[in-house]
Amino acid sequence: MAELTAFHFRPGTSLLHTLDVRFKILSFILISISSLKAYPLSLSILTLVIFYAILISYLRFKSILKELRYFFVLLVFIFAARAIFASALPATNFQQSAVTWQGIYDGALVCWRLLLVVLLGLIFVSTTRPSDIRTAVEWFLMPFPFIRGKRVATMMSLIMRFVPLILDQARETVDAQRSRGVENRKNPVYRLIKLIIPLMIRTFEKADKLAVAMEARCYSEKQTNKALSSNRSDWTTLFGVICLSILLVNN
Amino acid sequence: MNIIEVTNLSHRFLDGAIGIDNISLSIREGEFIVIAGRNGSGKTTFLRHLNGLLLPDTGSVRLAGVPVSRDIPRARQMVGMVFQDADSQIVGETVFDDVAFGPENLCLDECEVKRRVIKSLETVNLRDIADQRPHLLSGGEKRRLAVAGILAMEPRVLIFDEPFSDLDYPGVRQILHQTLSLHKAGHTILIATHDLEKVIAHADRLLIMSDGKVVMDGAPEMTIKDVEAFGVREPCASRLGMEIESWLS
Repeated sequence: MAELTAFHFRPGTSLLHTLDVRFKILSFILISISSLKAYPLSLSILTLVIFYAILISYLRFKSILKELRYFFVLLVFIFAARAIFASALPATNFQQSAVTWQGIYDGALVCWRLLLVVLLGLIFVSTTRPSDIRTAVEWFLMPFPFIRGKRVATMMSLIMRFVPLILDQARETVDAQRSRGVENRKNPVYRLIKLIIPLMIRTFEKADKLAVAMEARCYSEKQTNKALSSNRSDWTTLFGVICLSILLVNN
Repeated sequence: MNIIEVTNLSHRFLDGAIGIDNISLSIREGEFIVIAGRNGSGKTTFLRHLNGLLLPDTGSVRLAGVPVSRDIPRARQMVGMVFQDADSQIVGETVFDDVAFGPENLCLDECEVKRRVIKSLETVNLRDIADQRPHLLSGGEKRRLAVAGILAMEPRVLIFDEPFSDLDYPGVRQILHQTLSLHKAGHTILIATHDLEKVIAHADRLLIMSDGKVVMDGAPEMTIKDVEAFGVREPCASRLGMEIESWLS
């Protein structure tokens, strides 16, 4: 199960752990967007910055590689698709599909950018308490009177909490059906229906139980408001991130 | 002093089936009560009336003299309920966040929320894993986390609905030990179960429910011999004419 929830908070006392969550979200968005416009030189600088961030937040490279192993498979597919379908000088012919130098370059660039954005996300989630993310979401939604910030934040946190449980349930249902020979039925639609209906029923039952348990603990949208406070290091970091973003875009 | 007074309590479900039927009883502060009965006998329905999760069709429930329906948030703060399925009760993404959920709903200030969370986690011996994700905990730890989530609301009455289901022997002992500590600390304890074996040695009072009614109510040693008529297994030691021993012995 742990591999299905690779992105999770790891307690610590590093600078990244202590930064105000709002500044971290803004920094994450700014760097992610600007990295889409970045080219090899600026991507190299960003890579160094991210490696430094990983070092100071005490994340282990080995565990990061392990957690991202499925993502690397996805990157291989993206690289292959970009390499095959980009049109320019052909590097080699593979069954009438031309793999071009331009395609290889484009594919590598796209994969590099995606990898950096995912690493940024991993650093953000690993150094930020889920409850702080929830509080920041509420804060960012405050200017929108037609959106109930607390409700959205609670729904977000419940999704994060219950996705692993639903996946567990799905795996258990699949195993139970396999033990009763469902694999002998070749019709995939039949098998999908037999999986989805009991899974949905159990998920709704769990949702019912959850609602009662939340009621029993006095749940309402009137809750303790957590204080968010920024200091000099937050503003300094944001300034640094803005400079880095400008560098990324203008390179 | 009676902390709970139930008078002529009845409840029907939407389909017309009787959930509970004309129950009247009082519970003194500090009592340790076991409520037993076969599946569908009305145990959970009865318990859900004690903190206003269900409201009576007829009759009333009073907590320290105040009707539950008059002040439901007070009832839920005063009567904490630990559900059978701990997984469905845990709402936080970390152990700490989950315990903080109740106090935050009571709109306490941040320092008080933190104080209560730490105290509750210390009580159930989970402080060392405050930053752990709940779905990685063992069954016994999840049950203890559910208890901590309730303790953080500082209730006077604790209700456990089938607290020993799905637990291995060490898990049962942990929860039993926890429950006895809470009782010793002054909490009133109500445990609903169909398995008397594990807990009856510690109870002051045994209630047997059948078809929505309380059919037996008394000291365990006086009632235990007759429970099998109502679909509850008599503990082995009692069958053999021996004294019932605690699972903690």
